[in-house]
Amino acid sequence: MKAMILAAGKGTRVRPITATLPKPMIPLIRKPVMEFLVEHLRNHGVRDIVVNTSHLAPLIENYFRDGDHFGVRMAYSFEGTLVDGELQGDALGSAGGMRKIQDFSGFFDETFAVLCGDALIDLDFAELLRFHKERNALVTIALRDVPREQVSKYGIVELAKDGRVVRFQEKPPVNEAKSTTANTGIYLFEPRIFDFIPAGVEFDIGSQLFPALVAHHERIFGLALPFHWLDIGSIPDFWEGTQLLLRNELPDFVLPGTEVRPGIHAGIHLSVKWDEVDIRGPVYIGSGTSIAPGARIIGPTVIGSNCVIESGAVLDQCILADYTRVSSVAALQQKIIFGTKCIDPSGKYLDIEEGQLGWIVDDARRHRQLSDAESELWEQVHSLY
Amino acid sequence: MRIESKVVGRYLVVKVLEPRLGADRAVNFKEAMWKFVDQGQKSLVLDLSSVEFIDSTGLGAILSVLKRMGTDGELLVSGASDAVDSMFKLTRMNRIFRMFSTVDDAISAPV
Repeated sequence: MKAMILAAGKGTRVRPITATLPKPMIPLIRKPVMEFLVEHLRNHGVRDIVVNTSHLAPLIENYFRDGDHFGVRMAYSFEGTLVDGELQGDALGSAGGMRKIQDFSGFFDETFAVLCGDALIDLDFAELLRFHKERNALVTIALRDVPREQVSKYGIVELAKDGRVVRFQEKPPVNEAKSTTANTGIYLFEPRIFDFIPAGVEFDIGSQLFPALVAHHERIFGLALPFHWLDIGSIPDFWEGTQLLLRNELPDFVLPGTEVRPGIHAGIHLSVKWDEVDIRGPVYIGSGTSIAPGARIIGPTVIGSNCVIESGAVLDQCILADYTRVSSVAALQQKIIFGTKCIDPSGKYLDIEEGQLGWIVDDARRHRQLSDAESELWEQVHSLY
Repeated sequence: MRIESKVVGRYLVVKVLEPRLGADRAVNFKEAMWKFVDQGQKSLVLDLSSVEFIDSTGLGAILSVLKRMGTDGELLVSGASDAVDSMFKLTRMNRIFRMFSTVDDAISAPV
């Protein structure tokens, strides 16, 4: 089985994180979501993966390169153009992206999987493939049961007894939904699918390809399997996903680093005196980070690599990107620090530079230079505290 | 700097009418507030319900008012929006000031 990972989306709902990072590269405990997928595909015997890229393509391409260090072979289908030194995306849609790859090299010469690059899954592809072959399907959709009150967030699929798809409903109101089985955006296709995808135009799998297949009475099947499916489609999803992994609630996931104290996982090359820091797990600390005596850290928390946590700082359920400095007067509770943004789990955020908050949270590589107002406030907060 | 003040019981309630309390407004704000303090006001409620954005300079100005009031002064803060409240919490100033959701809550709070 071959695979295609869809990685050309813009990720507007994960802003401000996706202003600098494409969605598949969003780190869950410092590891891009897409890396989990690549490893999972490899573990299910997939060797060759083509990824369509567009928005911030080089960040994906430079990370995975030819796939060699992940035990697979990878190639990229770039959808866009270089204009005045900047990459601009050309939307082809999911099916249009598949067609471009096929027209270029005929890559899809056997059953292949197509999946989004921004959802964490532990789907049993072997089981899905067995079902697909058994039914002699043209398409098999991986489905998952969702709570009835949530059906309007999903593409809902109605199945006949043998698993054949009878009907698609796109985000139906709760009272009109024919089932509670949702399309997860993970598909198996036969190469004959390209008979139904026009070349050179924007074409979508869910809203265009599937209706065409239904009209032609083609064999579309769906299989609902119990599996974890963590769509990192928004800041609250990113928050939830990270917490789930920290609490070790995803069976296949092993926390990186070494468990240095119960519930505390850490990388190497750290500057921490464990007995002088008040720290409660689950916490992951990246390599090269320093935590001064007197800091207080409450999990679930992720501290990136090369961070500086000063004495007296409080981190209560936070996710810090690499190279974050947290000053001694800072009290961060349920915050994501990413770039120059201080983000709430709800997605609301403050801009650290605009609020002149460099004296609270900053890039650890910057030489701290406080404005007069900031130093004055620093002094005052210190003296009053 | 647009502010509005009224006496409620023993409190002087000062409402900031600007949407942004940043570097360009902080000095005027500070001067206006200091004036009240210098006139002998010992109990102030600062109503921030119209303020959508505050930065370090704005926070510093509020702190300077507290300092000017000395140890027997009382400065309550009310109506902080989510963004303003976040700033108070990040800098731990929420522990220096007593914060209330409305002016009424502030003036009826036990001392």
